[in-house]
Parts: sequence; structure tokens; C-alpha cells
Amino acid sequence: MNKPANEPTTRRTFLRNGARLAAMTSLGALGGVLASRSQAENWVWQIDPQKCLRCGNCATKCVLEQSAVKCVHAFAMCGYCNLCTGYFEPEPNALTTAAENQLCPTAAIKRTFIEDPYYEYVIDENLCIGCAKCVEGCSRFGNGSLFLQIRHDRCVRCNECAIARTCPGDAFRRVPASQPYLLKTTHAH
Amino acid sequence: MTSPGDNLDAAALGGGKQGATPLSSAHVPTGSAVAPLRSGTEVQSGVSLSRTAWIAAGFCLVVVMVMLYQHFRAAERDPWKSPQLLALKEQLRESPADESLRSEIRRLDLEFRQRYFRRLALNVTGGWLLVGGVIVFLMASRSSRRLLEKPPLPPRRGDTHASAPATVPRARWSVAGVSAVLVAGLFVVVLTGSSLLPERPEDLDKVLGRGEGAASDAPSLAEFQSNWPQFRGPDGAGMPARGEWNLRFGQSPEAGVLWKSPVPAHGFNSPVVWGNRVFLSGGNAEKREVFCFDANDGQLLWRRAVENVPGSPARQPEIPEFAGVAAPTMACDGRRAFVIFANGDLAAFTLEGAPAWSKHLGVPKNAYGHSASLALWPGRLIVQWEQEDGAPGGSKLMAFDGANGRLLWERAKPTHDSWASPIVIEAAGRTQIITLALPFMMSHSLADGNELWRAELMEGEVTPTPTFSGGLVIAVSPGFGLIALRADGSGDVKESHLVWENHENLPDVTSPAANGELVFTVTSAGLLTCFDLKDGKKLWEHDFEMEVQASPAIAGHQLLLLSTQGDAVTVEASRSFAELSRVKLEDRFDASPALVNGRVYLRGTTNLWCLNGKP
Amino acid sequence: MVLIFLLFGLSAAFAEQRFPPPDFSETNHQLPITTTPPTRAEWLQYLDVAVLAAGLGLAVWLIYKRRSRRGIFWLSIFSLSYFGFYREGCVCAIGAPQNIALGLFHSGYAVPVTVIAFFALPLIVALFAGRAFCAGVCPHGALQDLLLIKPLKVPAWLEHGLGILPFIFLGFGLTFAATGTGFPICRYDPIVPIFRLNGPSLLIALAAITVLLAMFVGRPYCRFLCPYGALLKISSLASKWRVRVTPDYCTQCRLCEHSCPFGAMREPAPGTIEPKSLVTERRRLGWLLVLVPVLIAGGAWFGGELAVPVSKLNPTVELAERYIAQQASPVDHGVMTPEALSLERAERDPEALLTSAADLRRRFWLACVLFGGWIGLVVGLKLVSLSLRTRRTDFEPDRGACFACARCFRSCPQELVRIGQMPASELPAPVPAAAKA
Repeated sequence: MNKPANEPTTRRTFLRNGARLAAMTSLGALGGVLASRSQAENWVWQIDPQKCLRCGNCATKCVLEQSAVKCVHAFAMCGYCNLCTGYFEPEPNALTTAAENQLCPTAAIKRTFIEDPYYEYVIDENLCIGCAKCVEGCSRFGNGSLFLQIRHDRCVRCNECAIARTCPGDAFRRVPASQPYLLKTTHAH
Repeated sequence: MTSPGDNLDAAALGGGKQGATPLSSAHVPTGSAVAPLRSGTEVQSGVSLSRTAWIAAGFCLVVVMVMLYQHFRAAERDPWKSPQLLALKEQLRESPADESLRSEIRRLDLEFRQRYFRRLALNVTGGWLLVGGVIVFLMASRSSRRLLEKPPLPPRRGDTHASAPATVPRARWSVAGVSAVLVAGLFVVVLTGSSLLPERPEDLDKVLGRGEGAASDAPSLAEFQSNWPQFRGPDGAGMPARGEWNLRFGQSPEAGVLWKSPVPAHGFNSPVVWGNRVFLSGGNAEKREVFCFDANDGQLLWRRAVENVPGSPARQPEIPEFAGVAAPTMACDGRRAFVIFANGDLAAFTLEGAPAWSKHLGVPKNAYGHSASLALWPGRLIVQWEQEDGAPGGSKLMAFDGANGRLLWERAKPTHDSWASPIVIEAAGRTQIITLALPFMMSHSLADGNELWRAELMEGEVTPTPTFSGGLVIAVSPGFGLIALRADGSGDVKESHLVWENHENLPDVTSPAANGELVFTVTSAGLLTCFDLKDGKKLWEHDFEMEVQASPAIAGHQLLLLSTQGDAVTVEASRSFAELSRVKLEDRFDASPALVNGRVYLRGTTNLWCLNGKP
Repeated sequence: MVLIFLLFGLSAAFAEQRFPPPDFSETNHQLPITTTPPTRAEWLQYLDVAVLAAGLGLAVWLIYKRRSRRGIFWLSIFSLSYFGFYREGCVCAIGAPQNIALGLFHSGYAVPVTVIAFFALPLIVALFAGRAFCAGVCPHGALQDLLLIKPLKVPAWLEHGLGILPFIFLGFGLTFAATGTGFPICRYDPIVPIFRLNGPSLLIALAAITVLLAMFVGRPYCRFLCPYGALLKISSLASKWRVRVTPDYCTQCRLCEHSCPFGAMREPAPGTIEPKSLVTERRRLGWLLVLVPVLIAGGAWFGGELAVPVSKLNPTVELAERYIAQQASPVDHGVMTPEALSLERAERDPEALLTSAADLRRRFWLACVLFGGWIGLVVGLKLVSLSLRTRRTDFEPDRGACFACARCFRSCPQELVRIGQMPASELPAPVPAAAKA
């Protein structure tokens, strides 16, 4: 603090002040350039369901042990089929909820009878692991009403999404935090 | 350890009490200015704290071990990866009635799921247990260290610069060493880095197959037109481009049939012919094949299965039997023969039967199965990909480079549901691709795929392929009528370019045939109708009362009709009806004839027939 | 098309969708709503910035005014809980330089204001008050600091050698970020999995190693890897104020040197050397000054050689390479692996893929040349700095290396006198600096 008078650093102090000034100026300039391109809003990661190739990476590549990617159901697009190709294995043994007929490895889809011949399929997100098996079945043979989305109550918002890096469909992108979902809607005519 | 003289400073600091230090006193909130030597209780609590630390460390280790064990056992027991479960499900597919298999699957499935979610829960609790253990460990070990460790002694004053001189040279070497290790590591990276990506942009063209090298492979237009390269011939009109023809088989000296050869597999596609080779495809859900016959004697030259197509699903989509997987007709440009199946596999073979390339275009969403044939133009292979409304990816039109299967362009179409094939025509100075599907008849430029014009005229189940004759595109709109449009428009041409329409005797399956003057249609019930190409007026009709699935072929002033029961009827293509000849072939015919080099090739269900059509 | 459609011919034209959604005429069933759990509320990100700013201010106050290790200790506990376990390590200043680089070189990416704040605030503070951020605000630093039980002394020479790594890692991270390849600093962060209590196996292993190391080596990540620490180190060299151990004169007791677990304490140095070695020293310095541009040029050349292999770490370039290889010698993928799916995507529009890959390769060439030059500059300047002599009268922490953890304060007898924990009479007699020199 109170140093002896013989401090021999006047030149050093001068250099240091200069360096600080330069650093502040360059930080300011950088800030100025960035400010012109910055935005108040934050980004979040999301999957474009139109680009998703249902490869299964979402289940395994997320930094969370149980992926933040879940299957989401656009009910308005759903045909409420009895033989749901997203729910049942191909060539199901019987159209029952028994384990051998279900496509979902964690039994995360709940099938409920509504009226003849319609059944409703609801995803239990606590069980869903985002493996996209049902999405593949529904997109290939059904209406495509099941699709994958990052659930923002679970996503930890990594600066670099670990799934995005390995996505074969390049389906991950940053979206503004105010519109954090890219939902499928009924086909526009 | 040190004599009092050596440790002058320490003695001074500690107030004569050796070993006491301000460092430790600062941390012990004793309130006294300088802590005394360790008391017995302090040592005791220090020992017990260190014991606590060891216990905490052991606890952490146990938690880590349990979690690691669970982690490494996970792969085989995760419900979606377990090979055991997958194998059982496969077994069940083979023996669907096996009750024990079913209960075994249920048992395993439940066990694996429970295990998985238990592991997830364990990892959360384990993580927090670990955090707790580490906190206890840290607190205990730090406190015990503070209590037990000997406080530091200020060293002798004379040592001050003892170590300094050696540091700097060593530091230099260590900086050099670290950089050397780094550079060596990066050098290994450099050595392993080979690249196929060309550095110069002009070399990119070569990789992409652009430039002159690729174009020379394509046949000339003249060569193209002297063959039967695709469904309904070189210009998709069911008419050979040149030659004198005599389709009156009943009167020909050789009585028609030159040879017949067994067809090895089922398929509704029609023969295509290039030079002395005839190509057919056939197959079912298990196997899809291409067959090449010698045009001179009907000998089967080779047959090749289309398999291992990258991306093709192992499980075949369900396609109704009345359409089959091999409904689309092949195409051949004299360099390669191309085939598409209703499962979305597209493949090319050399004329010698060597696989050239193959790709999977996705499984089309199409209730009757994809059945649009391949269209061809020298150097370009056209795929019309119509899906049901709302199907993922939608409908599109694609052009491939025949040489390497590279996609040249792809254009989304606002259409859906069609079983008609595309045709390539030259009209109004442009090479156009005409496609029919709900609700538009559309024209795209062959060069770049851009849309040229469209007309909202298609209704019903669009099945007959359009025909181009005398500057008009003739098409059947099953829910509307027979229509003729001029092909020189742009944008929406529904009002401006519709030349005529006629709603009589609409064919449902077969395509119209035209010879520049007259248009002929035939319904599946055998009602043949002749229209004037100029104004669409019906000139005459004749009911043959036979089932017809094959589209009529036309050569000069002769029109060839083929019934499913094997009646090959030749009619005069003129303004009044006249039957010229009729022969009966012992087979069932669904495919359309191919007319090339004075020969007529017919695909029957049992045999491939070759008839003499020379005058 | 020649097909038997008669059988089906009479069926009505297809509906809009393959399986038309039912209208539930019998039950009047209401369709459930597709839920969209919201993201973290936007205003909370400004709370993060406010907490950061408050933390930095508090740290500066605790270091310079209160000189309180205990204060810093509790601040780091708070930061660890808030930025670490509550915010789970993301948003963080360490990764922010990459966002800045991406934002500068990619027009499609707008850097969020909060990220700019997280990047700039600690640096600005460092320009005035040294690494106050590291002291108690950075959760990474706080965790390692709290883990430290028995610090082993890393030899000074090794510390110098390893000390260049953060700068090189910074260059590496910026190279990747500027080319839009990814954020390797975030990707290989060994601390964040601890905050999340979750992560991929590789990172968990790295985290375990870091934890074990941090018990015996003071702040291993901060000292030998942290790229943001490298930036703070440079900024601190120009800082206006600095941490001083002794409030008065130095008794040369070396207790502070012992108290610093990070090897940041520098002993007094005369600033001059004997005339005998002066000639060799001067000559060496001269050669080193010549060596710096040579190293930069060599590094730049080497960086150019690195461009091709390094660019293959970019997913687009990698896919382009794989696409060309596939075209040259087709390999059939039986099952649709993600790799095969991406190849299929490549085949849809190879022109766009290859063009953008070629463009990326050119970017990589420039970025790698700069990266190589940066390595040369770092090594060169480090060697030069080793030959510079600073005159120091007291034991004092190195401006760049000091984390401002405040451990040394109470090791100093002068400080104990100042705060009244020790009578001044127990101090040894002052040793005038002039007498020693």
C-alpha cells in the first residue's frame, strides 16, 4: 500500500497505463462491433422436425443421462388409428398393450380408447428417452404426428449442443428463446 | 531441526516458541494473538477428523464403484439396446403363437425397464451422495490437516536467492519441451491428414461430375430415338420414331411370333429395348430383379437382384398385390439400364449386368405402390415421385445423372397421388418434362427443373400417361375428360392453353395413342374411340368387348391393341374404323408393347414374346 | 401406366391425410394440447449478469479493502452454488470467447447481450484489479479451490512450461469457433459434468481426474488449461491495482510464499545482474528477440499444414470428404446408421455441400495459419519474458499468476500486526531494501 518513495516504476506504470488504455479501447471496439450484431434475446437449441432423420442419436448423445429430447405429439395431425405404426412393432403379434407388441422400449406411450375405432396416444415424458423409434414408425407409415423436440424444462442449454454436433440431418439449430419450439402443424392446403 | 541461530526470524516471530505460526493461528478462531503449541485435545480431534476423512473417502469410493458397475452393465440391459430382447422379438415374429416367448418378452421388458429407471434414480442419488461425501471429506481432511500438520517454518534468510538462478534455464527448457511435445503431436495430426476434397474450385467440378467428361457418356438423340428406351418409347407416345411397319400379324408370312422366352418373375412393367437387348424387371417383397434378354433369340443373358441398396429398409413396405413392387417400367440409355421398384430403390446396371450404382429414395407413401415409370432423356434420368397428400417430404420431381446416379436437381411439387408416368418432350424450343398428378398437369424444364407451366385440370385417380403429338399434350384426367393443351405456355395455362376437351369414353388405365392426326383411347372394357387431334371431336368408336390393360401402340396407320387374354388386334388408324388383323397369343398381357427395329415385344405373364413387325 | 386399378378404381379419391383425423362425433372428445414447457425466464439471464457484477464488486472489495480470505471463501461457496450447481455451469465466461469469435465471423449468429457481459466484465475488472473473477466468482475456480487439501509444490520451471498451454488452448478454441466448427472449450470442460452430476463417460473421467488432481495441485485447470484465465492473465499484467501481501514493509519471512498453493509468489529480485553474465544475458535476449518473428513465421507455416487435417473435424467438411470417398468406392451400409443417413443427405445436394466444404477449408487455412502464428508468438514471448529481469524489493504475487485468493494476507506477520492479532513488538527489525541490494 504505502510504498517507499524509491519505487522505480514510473516507466512501468506509464507502460501499464498505456496497455490498459489500449485494452479498454480494443474491448470497447470489440463491444461496439458485437453490439451492432448482438441481440438481447438468448438462443436455445431446437430440432427442426422436417429435417430430422430419426437416427436415434438424440437418445444417446445428450449430455444428460436421460436425454432432454422427447417425443412430442401433434394431436391435431394424428389419425387416432387402432393400428398405430408409432405404437406397435411392425407386424405386431396382437393389437394389445402387451410388451411384445410395443415399439417403445420404455413403454412411454399411453394408448387409450376414445371411441370406435379411435385410440389416443399420449407420451409420458418422464419415461420417454427420445430414441425416435415411434417417430420413425409414424413418419414412415402414418401421418407423421409424432416428432422429436428438445424439452426446455430439461435442456441445460449447453453452449454447444452435444447432439447437434452429431446430427446426421443437420436438424438442430439455435432458435430465439421466445419461440423455443418448432412444432409440426396440420398440413396446410 | 534447526538451531536457534539459524532460525532467527522464526524465533522472533513465534515469540521464542518454536513451531508456532501465524499461518495456523489465522485459521483457528481462538481469539488469542498467536496460537500456542498443539494441545492434546487438538491433536485428538485432529486424529478423529482424519479418521472421518478416510471414512468419507471410502464412502465416496464405494458410491463411485457402485455407479461404475451399474454404468458398465447398462449397455446390455438397457431396454432399447438389449440384444436378448431384440432376438426374442424376432423369434416371436417367426412363431407368433408361442405363448412362452410372449411371457418371456414381457418379463425381460419389465425387468430391463425397471432396471433402467432404477439406474437413473441411483445416478441422481449417487451424485448427491458423492457431493455430500466429498464435502464431509474436504471439511474433515482440511480441519485435521490444520490441526495436525506442522506449521511452516520461515527458512533461513540466506536461502533467499538460492534456488532462483537454476529456475530460469530449466524453465526455458521446459517451455521448449512442452512446445516440442505439442508440435510433435500436431505433426502426427498433419501426417494423418489426407484429403479427397479438391483445393481448387475448378477441381470441384470434376468431383461433382460437371463438365465435359460426364456428358460424353450420354447417347446421341438419334441413337436414343432409334431404340425403345423407356415406357411408351423414345418420346413416350407409344410410337416408334422411324421405320416401315406391318402390324398385321395374321397375314405376315412368318405368322408373327419370332420367339418367346419364359419371364422369370412377376411384374407389370413393360419391356424396354436397346440394340439387341431387352430389359424387364420383376420381383416381390423378398427379391427384386432385373432381367436382360437377347433380342435376337430371346435367351436370358443375365439376371441381377437389386439388393444392399444403401438406406433401403430391411423390412419391405406393404404393396398391394394388384400393383406389385415391379410396376414401374425400366429405362435404358444404351450405357446403363435403370430400374426403380415400388419400395423406393433406384438402381443402374451396365448392359453387361454389372451394378453401376444404386440408391434408396425413401419409401414412397402411396396406397397402390409407386408405379410411375422412369423417364429418360440422353444423360438425364427422371423420377416422378408422387406421394399421398401430406406425406413427409411431399411430392417431387428428380433428375439424376445416369452415369453416376448423382442427383442433378430436385424440385418439390404441389401435387399428390398419381400413377401416371412422366414424359419428356421437345416443344416451344424447350425440353420439358410433363407430369400428371392431382391437381395439376405440370411442365418442368429438363435443364434445371424449374417449373414452366401448370394447369389445374387433373381429377380422379390419375393413371394414364400423357402423350405428345402435333404440338399438343394429350392427357386423360379421369374425373374430368380427355384434354389437349398447347405446350408453349408459362405459368397457369388452364384457361389459355386448353385447346379442347372431350368427356366421352374415358380410359381409366391405358394411355392415349396419337399419330399427329388422330388420337385413340381404349377403356379397360375394350371400347376403342378415335378422336380428331385438331378439335377433339369423336370420329368413331368400336366396342371390342375384351379386357384391355395394355396401352395401344401406333405405327404409321396401324394401331395395335392387346387384350389381357392375348388377342392382338390391329386396327387401321384412320378416320373410319377397320379391323386389319387379329391373332390369339396364349398368355395374359398387362404390359404395353415395345416396337423397335421391325419387332414387337410383348410381355406376358408367362412369356416374353417377340413378333415380326416388318412389312 | 399399365396397371390394374380397376379393383380399386371405384374407391373415392384419397383424403387429405393418409389417416384423416377423426372428428369424434360420438364422444365429442377434446384433443389434448401439445405441451411446450417454457425455457428459463428471460429476465433471469439479467439476474445472472447482475449476480456476476455484484460478485466481481464484492470480490474486489474483499480483496483490497477487507483483505479477507474468509470473505473470499464464502463468496466462492456462493458462486459455486449459484453459477455452478444452480446454473449448471452454462452461462460462463470461460466459453464466452468462442461465442464472441463465432459472432464476429458468422453473420448468422448474433451474440446475446448477456454473453457479451460475461465475456467483458471480468476482463474489465482484471484491467483494474487483477483476477478478482478467478478469486471467488468463477465456479470452476471456486470448486478447485475448495477441493485443495494438501497442495504440492509444482516446480517453478515446470509451471513456466505448462503455463503456455492455456494460451494455446485459447487459440485452438477460437480457431474452431471462428470457423463455425464448434466450441471445444465447452465440449471438453472437465468441471461442468460435476455441476450437472451427469455427463458423457469421457467427461466424467476427465472430471474425476481433475477432482483428484485438484486435491493436491492448486487449481490445475485454471493454471494449466483455462483459456479465459489466459486472457485474464494478460489483462492483469496491465492492472491498475495489485494484490500486495504486506500492508507495510516486507520482513522477508517467506511465509507468504509457503502459503500460496499456486506458485504465484515471487521473491525479491535485484533487477540487475553481475556484469560478468550481463553480456551473455544481453546476447541471449537479442537472439530471442530475433527468434520471435522466426517462431511466428514457422508456426504460421506449420499452421497452414494443419489446415487440412484439422478442417476434417468440422462436420460439414468431414461429410464432404466421406461423400467423395463414397462416390469413388461405394460402400453399402446395411443398416441405416447415422453416418449412412448423413451421406444420404449429402447425396441430395452434393454441390452445396462440396462448395461450402471448400469454402470452410479456405477459412480453416486462414484460421490455422493464425493459430500456428499464435503458438509461435506465445512460445517466443514466453522465452523472452524468462530473460527479462524485474526489480522487486518485497515478496509479492505475480500479477498474472495471482488468483487473488487472499490466502497470503494472513500469513504475513505485518498483516497480523495490522489487524491486531500480533503485537508489533514481535516483528523482526525492518530490513531496508537498499541494504540488501
